[in-house]
Amino acid sequence: MSDQAAILPGTLDLLILKAVSLGRLHGYGVLLRIGQISAGALEIQQGALYPALYRLEHQGLISSEWGTSDNNRKAKYYRLTAAGRRRLGEETASWNRLVDAIALALSATPQEVG
Amino acid sequence: MISGIFARARSLWRGVSRRSDVDAEMEEEFRAHIELRTADLIRTGLAPDAAARQARIEFGRPERFKAEGGASRGLRRFDELGVSWLDFKLGFRMLVRYPGLTLVGGLAVAFAIWVGAGTFEFLGQVMNPRIPLAEGDRIVAIEVTSATDGRQTPRILHDYVDWRANLRSVTELGAYRSVERNLILESAHAEPADLAEVTASAFQIARVQPLFGRAIVADDESPASPPVLVLGWELWQRRFGGDPNVLGRTVQVGITPATIVGVMPQGFRFPISYEAWAPLRLNVLEYERGQGPAISVIGRLAPNATLDEAQTELTNLGRRAALDFPATHEHLRPRVMPLAKSWLDLSTGEALSLWSINLFIIMLLALVCSNVALLMFARAATRESEIAVRNAIGASRTRIVTQLFAEALVLGAVGASLGLAAAGFGLRWGLGIAATQFMDGAPLPFWFRSTLSPSTVLYVGMLAVLAAIIAGVLPALKVTRGIGTQLRQASAGGGGLRFGGVWTAVIVTQVALTVALPSTAFQLRKDANRIRTLDVGFPTQQYLSLRLEMDRDASSATSGDTSRAAFLALFAERKQEFERRLTNDPAVVDVTLAGRLPRMYHQWNQIEVDEGAVEPLDERGHRVSSTSVAEDYFEVLRTPLLSGRGFNSGDLSSGARVVLVNKPFVDDVLGGRNPIGRRIRYIANEDDRRPRDDGPWYEIVGVARDIGMTSGYGRAGIYHPMVPTEAYPVYLAVHVQGDPNAFEPQLRATAGEVDPTLRINELMPLDEVTGGEMKFYSFWFRLTLLISSIALLLSLAGIYAVMAFTVARRTREIGIRVALGASKRRVLASIFRRPLMQVGLGVLAGTFVTGLLAYGINRMEVSPRGAAMVAAYAVLMLAVCLLACIVPTTRALAVEPTEALRADG
Repeated sequence: MSDQAAILPGTLDLLILKAVSLGRLHGYGVLLRIGQISAGALEIQQGALYPALYRLEHQGLISSEWGTSDNNRKAKYYRLTAAGRRRLGEETASWNRLVDAIALALSATPQEVG
Repeated sequence: MISGIFARARSLWRGVSRRSDVDAEMEEEFRAHIELRTADLIRTGLAPDAAARQARIEFGRPERFKAEGGASRGLRRFDELGVSWLDFKLGFRMLVRYPGLTLVGGLAVAFAIWVGAGTFEFLGQVMNPRIPLAEGDRIVAIEVTSATDGRQTPRILHDYVDWRANLRSVTELGAYRSVERNLILESAHAEPADLAEVTASAFQIARVQPLFGRAIVADDESPASPPVLVLGWELWQRRFGGDPNVLGRTVQVGITPATIVGVMPQGFRFPISYEAWAPLRLNVLEYERGQGPAISVIGRLAPNATLDEAQTELTNLGRRAALDFPATHEHLRPRVMPLAKSWLDLSTGEALSLWSINLFIIMLLALVCSNVALLMFARAATRESEIAVRNAIGASRTRIVTQLFAEALVLGAVGASLGLAAAGFGLRWGLGIAATQFMDGAPLPFWFRSTLSPSTVLYVGMLAVLAAIIAGVLPALKVTRGIGTQLRQASAGGGGLRFGGVWTAVIVTQVALTVALPSTAFQLRKDANRIRTLDVGFPTQQYLSLRLEMDRDASSATSGDTSRAAFLALFAERKQEFERRLTNDPAVVDVTLAGRLPRMYHQWNQIEVDEGAVEPLDERGHRVSSTSVAEDYFEVLRTPLLSGRGFNSGDLSSGARVVLVNKPFVDDVLGGRNPIGRRIRYIANEDDRRPRDDGPWYEIVGVARDIGMTSGYGRAGIYHPMVPTEAYPVYLAVHVQGDPNAFEPQLRATAGEVDPTLRINELMPLDEVTGGEMKFYSFWFRLTLLISSIALLLSLAGIYAVMAFTVARRTREIGIRVALGASKRRVLASIFRRPLMQVGLGVLAGTFVTGLLAYGINRMEVSPRGAAMVAAYAVLMLAVCLLACIVPTTRALAVEPTEALRADG
């Protein structure tokens, strides 16, 4: 079994918002950044990134523009919008609450219930 | 939230409007991703080829992500609905492949749209006229109405002077009045012309420069200036042959010689519908307040002023006048309105009821299109397998409906183009009819035009889409209902489609229309023929008929007396002289006068008889025509009296009160009893519908033959003796030797010699006097025939389509039945039952409607001949409709059983 975890449905958007919040990125850069900040623990199918990017752009959470990559390749860059920043804050808080709740639930022992 | 909606809308708009750009960008982005990844993989030590392959595998299938990307942008719905060029190309191919449907459907839609466009444009011009002049919408008219009886007060010369001095929100005020005058050229006979006497300011409101020469200027209004005339283009062409040297020529306008100083460009008929213009010379000091000639006042709204502001200012001026001159002005209310409203002022209710005509047209379109829908449905049903297969390989129902809609839209567009192309022609026709019907033959105002406005073209576009929805989407929805299960059925050979009750209703209505409409058309035709060929018992083609009038200012010019009595006295004198000279002319046999001549339309009057009258047919009572005639009327018209005596000079004294009646009067009102000595009196008439019972009694002294008095209520009529000094205008019947047309110039010349102010109108042989009415009848006759032919064509095509469809559906069943030994007769009966029932029902309904119209509403007598004609027509219709069934039926019976078993439905 791989040491990479498949990401939970619905969390890809959150990861992309987080990745883009750290600086302007092109699509491939988003992939690398998620790998970097999750220390390679999350597996994303590369092409699937794009429908998610378009969805976020369609919702006005990120914006895009064409630019040039480090090795002089024309590429489309994404950055977080103000609405995206607000959404990232809300989603992060709600994610943390969920994680805490799940963690709490999973750490329950027979003594505590008994 | 708002920004989110905005971002979505922008992204959607970009996606929809620049779809190919968005796709290209996605591909470019994917390529960039794969190249960057490849470069990274090469850096880890992979060979370039292997690295590229690895990068592509890691990325996944680009097509899938492109589709998902589109969906992320909310574009999926558009992909499904998306009408592509291919759909339209397919639609065109369908037009060519099914020429029958194209012809019938296209013609039907074209007809409905033709009628719709013409009606919409005409109503638009009536209700929202656009004055085709520079800033034409700012030209206004000022009218004064009396608060006591609501009538317009035209004697407003003093008010006009006040307004000119004080009104700020309406500038360039001017006045005009209509006058009809004889225009007499040195070398030609006199002919009346529609003339406007205008102030220079009124003439300049139009802001149109003369074609050449000059317009009316302020100096012309002075009585000291020489009289001038400005010609309209049409009059210049008609009377002067477009002579370029017409300026400076002198023509006689009634009693005044005037010099032509200008010619206006083609189409200029300002302010309403005039052929020439003369200066309006008004000296306000000559008249008291509330006196003077009747004038109309027009002007332009001052820059930045609104109609409401102008009305407020005018109301204030009106109040002031009421305070200053209570005797004449207390009850007067001035009103400012757009120029066109002064010609026709519709109330909201009237406007609404006029607009509702458009609804009827839309209903007509819907009816026509539901027929086309029937045909489209039959065609779609033959493509059922194709549709089911397309659905199975991924086309959604929406997609299929869209494609059928596109096909119908192509058909609708073809029909709409045809309809639009013909609309101008139809509009000219309609405007001509409107002029003869509502304007007594006078032309409509200059702002009516036979071209279509952009809003009409837009409306036609909407009609075409509506037509496509009815004719395309409805059948498509029906055909694709439960599309998933159809594939199974289609391949198993039995179709799941049936024509339901709606289609039956459509066909029945259709057939009923084809029966009812032509009967109505022929009823119209019969009425028309009755009027045209009415045997009046004397040779009408040997008589010239004309209406004699005289310029109103003729008497004041000769004697200085402006009273009506003086005018009538002078007219009587001139008329007598004219009659005398005509009688002395060797080409003339005889001349007589009347208020109305035989076969002309007569006003109706409701009468009562002192005793012996039969019960009237209905609550409308006895309605009869009446007119006054000269003493020698029946003698000149070669119509001896049937009984009693004719008029003599003694009957002209005011106490005599004697009348003649005609034979239909004796039959209809008195039931054939002897009328001599009975008395009648009038209790209501066409103009004044309020019944009154204080009218004088008239004694009947004689009976004349029926020589064509018609009022729309039968042929009964009453003749009064004509009092020479009371009748105006009068009709003359001139019995001519030889061709009456050839005598026309001589007749006009004689009138000119008697008095240049005598005007001759409606000069034509007496057998042509019903021309205007004939035009009206022929309009309706042709229109009804056209509608009937379209309805007939549609029902034939519809029945054919349904039959062909049903037989094709049942090929297998028919084959098996024939193979199992069923008699052809029984098979035939089972096929024919349904169309027979539909056609039969339609014929019955149509006959019923016809009967109701003819006998119920128009109270016609049931004649065996009429009934036989309707019956014969019904049988004919039945036969024609059954003909439409023959081809499909013979095809079905010729089917070999083996072939039938192979048929897949």
